[in-house]
Amino acid sequence: MKKIVRIDMSDLSVKTEPLPEKWARYGGRALTDAIVFSEVPPSADPLGPENKLVFAPGILGGTTAPNGGRLSAGAKSPLTGGIKESNSGGQAAHALAKLGIAALVIEGAPADKDARYLIKIAPDGSVEIKRVDEWAGAGNYAVADGIKQTMGDVKRYATISIGPAGEMGMKMAGIAVSDPDGYPNRFLGRGGLGAVMGSKGVKAIVLVDEGLPTIEHADRDAFNAAVKKFAAALREHAVTGQGLPTYGTNVLANIINEAGGYPTRNFSSGRFELVENISGERQREVTLERGGNVKHGCHTGCVIQCSRYWVDKDGTYITKGPEYESMWSLGADCGIGDIDDVAALDRACGDIGIDTIETGVMLGVYMDSGRLAFGDGKGALRLLEEEVRKGTDLGRVLGDGAEATGTAFGVKRIPVVKHQGLPAYDPRPIQGIGVTYATSPMGADHTAGYSITANVLNVGGTVDPLKPDGQAELSKGLQIATGMLDSMGLCIFVAFAVLDIPEAFDAIFEMATAHTGQTWDADALMELGKETLAMERLYNEAVGFKPEDDRLPRFFYEEKLPPHDAVFSVSDADLDSVFDFVPETAAKMGISKPGA
Amino acid sequence: MRIELALFASLRRFLPTGEAGHERTIDLPDGTTVGQVIATLGLPDEPRVVFVNGRHAPDDFVLHDGDRLAVFPPVAGG
Ligand code: SF4
Repeated sequence: MKKIVRIDMSDLSVKTEPLPEKWARYGGRALTDAIVFSEVPPSADPLGPENKLVFAPGILGGTTAPNGGRLSAGAKSPLTGGIKESNSGGQAAHALAKLGIAALVIEGAPADKDARYLIKIAPDGSVEIKRVDEWAGAGNYAVADGIKQTMGDVKRYATISIGPAGEMGMKMAGIAVSDPDGYPNRFLGRGGLGAVMGSKGVKAIVLVDEGLPTIEHADRDAFNAAVKKFAAALREHAVTGQGLPTYGTNVLANIINEAGGYPTRNFSSGRFELVENISGERQREVTLERGGNVKHGCHTGCVIQCSRYWVDKDGTYITKGPEYESMWSLGADCGIGDIDDVAALDRACGDIGIDTIETGVMLGVYMDSGRLAFGDGKGALRLLEEEVRKGTDLGRVLGDGAEATGTAFGVKRIPVVKHQGLPAYDPRPIQGIGVTYATSPMGADHTAGYSITANVLNVGGTVDPLKPDGQAELSKGLQIATGMLDSMGLCIFVAFAVLDIPEAFDAIFEMATAHTGQTWDADALMELGKETLAMERLYNEAVGFKPEDDRLPRFFYEEKLPPHDAVFSVSDADLDSVFDFVPETAAKMGISKPGA
Repeated sequence: MRIELALFASLRRFLPTGEAGHERTIDLPDGTTVGQVIATLGLPDEPRVVFVNGRHAPDDFVLHDGDRLAVFPPVAGG
């Protein structure tokens, strides 16, 4: 029986309850959404005791489903003010699932603001909550070491932790999750969830899954058959079978740059003249020269294996990746073309516990104010280490992200939607991603509906990236599919294969059916995606978001972006059509506004 | 006519030899199409993404002097 474990940080009490029947078909994002939707008042202070921080593995979490160990974290976001689901790799989702935990809910807040707690869940399900005040201000890597020292001979465990940024309540603070080697380098990055964890006094969570049996399936043979079919499709597709494992996510740098959609120097150009220095091809060459690892999974059971480690000239581990988004935000968006500078910034973000995307966008905005030169990698690192990490007055402003920084320093071009910084694709020459940025309940988020597929990559069809035609429909379909994948616990990169190979899609509902014993089919998968989005939209409506919030900042409609001199031209009516299914879905679900 | 040719990721090895990097300036007879360049280079017959001057271009696209042709194998990320 799957359970929900609730830890109330106000009195350090622990409650365990069975997963309610109404949520029996939910996992991952659907479940974090359902709990936030039902239990966190839309008026709640994101950093107050009413907010709840929910961790949930997907429906397929803990199983051998390929790429099925992604973790969802949900809460009301301090950055966007709306509902948030942040998604990451790492080992924690598998560990939670093996512990039988469908959702871990951190509630309340301690009266003593100086208290720091370590929560440890043992293989028998017992929960220990220990004070670790001496870890106050520690970076994620030091916390990981500290935990290791308390673990003795225990080898199998996953960690979830925050750095100093989360403790200080900074709006761009993320939550680190440990990878299979124990490095705290996978991130629930977006939306400031690290600050929510910090507001609850939780410095780290350890999930010990040592010695636990493999998870049972309703129909083992059928499950294994579906797993085989899914894995074969992931291996067969050129992107998931070759491109991603060979070059990692940063193989995108050159192609997005070629398309003229690689935002450079705070979204003032779509091409970066130094892109080659920070491209996936270069990254692979240098990593191999230095003896770094260029292909592994961010969690056990990943078939695609897009992850890699960056090492310094002496071969010492610095950080993971850096991933495409981070190499862009901390590189091109800041005009920084030195790959070691970018890696140093990525490491600093990981240790301080701040979202690399928001950090890079913030730095780009700050540079645009003229206070730091574009391209000054060392200066940027100094800002992170000396200001943000230490929480100086300047550091607190920067730590609240791109919008806070741009507003404080009078910058005109502030690339945010719903207060969240835009990721690594300019929405003017790639209009489809602009629809997702504008309309996603998450704020500007590429993963919510990755329209880059048909716009640039010729995956899952083709549309003209410079034209508005068909973009709303494309984004809508992808946002629904992503809601489903995030609820299953599948890495969204499986979508590249799923969009092109029909058997891969079938394998998802076959795995779900064989694992849970419930009936899943194509329609049920899409319904799950729609339900997820319906809860998010209704929550955000109750918070006060209006159609005007589903727009890009004005400059994207007015300032022409070189080289294509494009402006964003998807109509407001098209943007407003993306969530036209919500009333019908909500009616079927019997919900209309947040609450039990 | 003279065009700029760029090959990326696993396709880099198909560049005409001589220099390092991933870009070349090449001379072509007027009226050469994208498909003809790809055939001459001997690129593998698999899906690919082709840009001319930053826009997707089909195989029968006729190149002009000063164009930039960029060819990618199937890639993605995010
Ligand atoms: S494909 Fe990459 S991001 Fe996805 S699960 Fe594997 S390593 Fe993690």
